[in-house]
Amino acid sequence: MSPSPRSDDEFDQRLRIAVYRHTIRSGCVPTVAQAAAALKSSVRQVRSGLQRLSQTHAFMLQENGELWRAAPFSAVPTAFPVSIGKRSWFANCIWDALGIPAMLRKDARIAAACGCCNLEMPIQVKGGRLVAAKGIIHIAVPAREWYKDVVFT
Amino acid sequence: MLLFRSELHVDRWCRQWKRSRGGTLSIAQGWKLAQLWYGDRLTVKWNPKTVEQAEATFAEVGLVGEFWRLR
Repeated sequence: MSPSPRSDDEFDQRLRIAVYRHTIRSGCVPTVAQAAAALKSSVRQVRSGLQRLSQTHAFMLQENGELWRAAPFSAVPTAFPVSIGKRSWFANCIWDALGIPAMLRKDARIAAACGCCNLEMPIQVKGGRLVAAKGIIHIAVPAREWYKDVVFT
Repeated sequence: MLLFRSELHVDRWCRQWKRSRGGTLSIAQGWKLAQLWYGDRLTVKWNPKTVEQAEATFAEVGLVGEFWRLR
């Protein structure tokens, strides 16, 4: 018998939180196998759960079924490293780089650089505020098309 | 979504990648948007924002107009 939509929802909730907990603790987005082990579940169940969660766009998968993004975190290295204390993560874009301290409600350092010339533009978040941060954020794609061209967005 | 030193650098990037100019926001608006977007992400009962909620969030940060419409 296949699980009911309600039990899918409960599983997906647990999976989503498990992915975030692993990522926050380790600095890396978990593999499917790691998520399955954390939930004492099967790889197949986790793959199905990730497919459902990716419909929200908060999670996005790679071609091999592993997580690519668990927003605001990136599973692959990017130009947006974020450090909180001794821990660090990669964010998907500048919005997500700001999203990590916003989500964790912690002071943070973002090693950003100009998208044009790559000169450093470090950002610091302290006490819930930006410290002497300068710059302009550019979003290339109109909001309704963000997920049609997520790389250029 | 990239960060740029100035409007001039945004224009240069758009020329380089042959993209038309998109939407811009200040870093302060970006921080406010990030707080509104991600502030509740660790709650167990989190649900993605509806189209209406997302547009209201953009508006709260001052992001209005055709570029920010989701419908």
